Amino acid sequence: MAVTATTPPPSTVLAAPRTPRRSGRRRGDIAIALFFLAPFLAVYGLFVVWPVLQAGRMSFYDWDLLGYTREFTGFDNYRRMLWGTSMTWDLSHLAGLRAVVLAATAALVVRSVRRRARPLSTVGTGAAGLLAAALLGVHPGPGGGWNDPGFWTSVRHTAEFTAISTPILIGLGLAMALALRGQHRGTAFYRAAFFLPYVLPVSAVTLIWSFLLNPDRGLVAGGLQRLGIEPIAWLSDPQLAMWGIIATTVWWSVGLNLVLFLAGLQDIDPSLYEAASLDGAGAWHRFRHVTVPGLRHVTVLVAVTQLIASFQIFGQVYIMTRGGPGDATRVVIQHIYEAGFRNLQLGYAAAISLVFFLLMALVSAIQFRLTAREA
Amino acid sequence: MATPIPTVTAGDRPAPAAAAPAGPPTRRRIRFRPGVRHGFLLLAAFVWLLPVLWMVSMALTPNDVQQREPVGLLPDGLTWSNFADVFQLGLMLRWFGNSVVVTTAATVLTVAVCAMAGYAFAKLRFTGRRLLFAVVIAGLMVPREAMFVPLFLMFSDTGQQNTYQALFLPRVAFPLGVFIMTQFFSRVPDEYEEAARVDGAGPLRVFWSIMLPLARPAMASLAIFTFVLTWNDYLWPLVIATEQEMFTVTTGLASLQSNFAAATEIGSLMARGLIGSLPLVVLFLLFQRQLIRGITLGSGEK
Repeated sequence: MAVTATTPPPSTVLAAPRTPRRSGRRRGDIAIALFFLAPFLAVYGLFVVWPVLQAGRMSFYDWDLLGYTREFTGFDNYRRMLWGTSMTWDLSHLAGLRAVVLAATAALVVRSVRRRARPLSTVGTGAAGLLAAALLGVHPGPGGGWNDPGFWTSVRHTAEFTAISTPILIGLGLAMALALRGQHRGTAFYRAAFFLPYVLPVSAVTLIWSFLLNPDRGLVAGGLQRLGIEPIAWLSDPQLAMWGIIATTVWWSVGLNLVLFLAGLQDIDPSLYEAASLDGAGAWHRFRHVTVPGLRHVTVLVAVTQLIASFQIFGQVYIMTRGGPGDATRVVIQHIYEAGFRNLQLGYAAAISLVFFLLMALVSAIQFRLTAREA
Repeated sequence: MATPIPTVTAGDRPAPAAAAPAGPPTRRRIRFRPGVRHGFLLLAAFVWLLPVLWMVSMALTPNDVQQREPVGLLPDGLTWSNFADVFQLGLMLRWFGNSVVVTTAATVLTVAVCAMAGYAFAKLRFTGRRLLFAVVIAGLMVPREAMFVPLFLMFSDTGQQNTYQALFLPRVAFPLGVFIMTQFFSRVPDEYEEAARVDGAGPLRVFWSIMLPLARPAMASLAIFTFVLTWNDYLWPLVIATEQEMFTVTTGLASLQSNFAAATEIGSLMARGLIGSLPLVVLFLLFQRQLIRGITLGSGEK
């Protein structure tokens, strides 16, 4: 699980006042800087930059893992991923989701108008949002189908997982942090207890939870039975399997959000609470008008970190259900993995990776915008 | 409208004596009585840790008992044989060794490489510094999980599948680590360096005998953070290490779960899960503070 794939604005770290350059030493400085930077730049170029470029190249090829076919096929891989037969467009398709996209776009545009952002960026945001909403109306008409239905299934499941687990992980993390804040005795112990699952390997977590959720021998079934509820086969019921995965994920990783929120709470100036109390603000008002604004930046950070981590869900699903039952929990990374290493089509796998990467870069960019204007 | 400037907690500053800042005092508010609060939190913590306690209980129960009936929170017929199995049967020890090698190498290299780069970005003035730093920061946007296909090809084309270096090298390219170290070094006052230079020390010497000792807390945080992430890596080892002998703890444990025989040896399976998680749990208990600081530093939040 990638933990912190957020993008802090580069200016913040290098913002220290610069000492005037002594031109006589400049050449030597470059050599020395290169000496210190070379090891990192080497691994960075090799294992981060190059794979992205290579994925871009591979995505235009029919690139077989074993058969040594390496044939340039233009946009075939993209057509296969994103297109289908007898495609049509209508207004009502995915209407709810598109309404959400439009609302978010409107909010962003209003916000940048209010903050007097550069007109270009405002127009760009609006145009991108409208385009996205319009594109979501494209779908296979009657008698047609997607070229790769499995891809869209995996996208849908990933989106569902993200949409359900992210609010839970953020809300629960915040609630835990609020319960633990302050300098009470035992706080460190409780924090450790809630954070502990986060350090476990994903396969140890799935090991426990596969058994916990097991209808015959699991603690969950045992507990429910005492309440008179029949055991539920969480992981083998297509309707419930994703919920089993979500429960596992929440238990495993909410501790990270707890820690981030706790750090954020510590940064709120205590005198603000005092001032609010003196003004006669009750607990709710203090929460609403001191805690919530004070946590704004952390919340954006946690939300984006969480969003990006959730998009990349793989281990829990792959170990616990293999994407099953049927295709009920198949997710995008699994689709990439199987396209590449089961169907041996590396070109196609690279194309999906790249689109996926661009999507996440977009989320990071939005976060960058939000945090850069924040506070 | 200032941009959010990541600050470093007092514990990270070079001055060794600084203590962690106190949180907002909340005692003045009338809340639950402390007893009620503790009772509630204790219960919540207990429920939260139930899965782990249950795992321990199953690991201590003989396999044949578990085939007859499900085990509760207390072990049924205490035995250590499941743990003994870990050392005698199967490849668990080998995987453990692999994980130790890979994780240690990744951690040491990451800390070294990121400390050097962080020092250069924070303290050396050179043309293109800002541009280069922006390029490195852009790397934070590359999802680790998504680019495994070309990365796999790179190692397989050079015949390095199922090798240790293939497992740990990609981990070393950790832009977040550079970010953490740059942030730390940029807070070290320039006077330290100037004083040393006046005494005739070159940049190498300044780095080695002044900067590195100062950076110990930040490096410890980065190290423990890297260790946890690497030990728990799943997708990359799954892709690049296909021979059983080269599995890590994480992929090895996963492979055991898809194995059908798993159902008859629940006790040993749980014991393996516990042994495989043990280094992380121990490390977490010992260095909790550093780990949490690494996370908050890495998020750019603190």
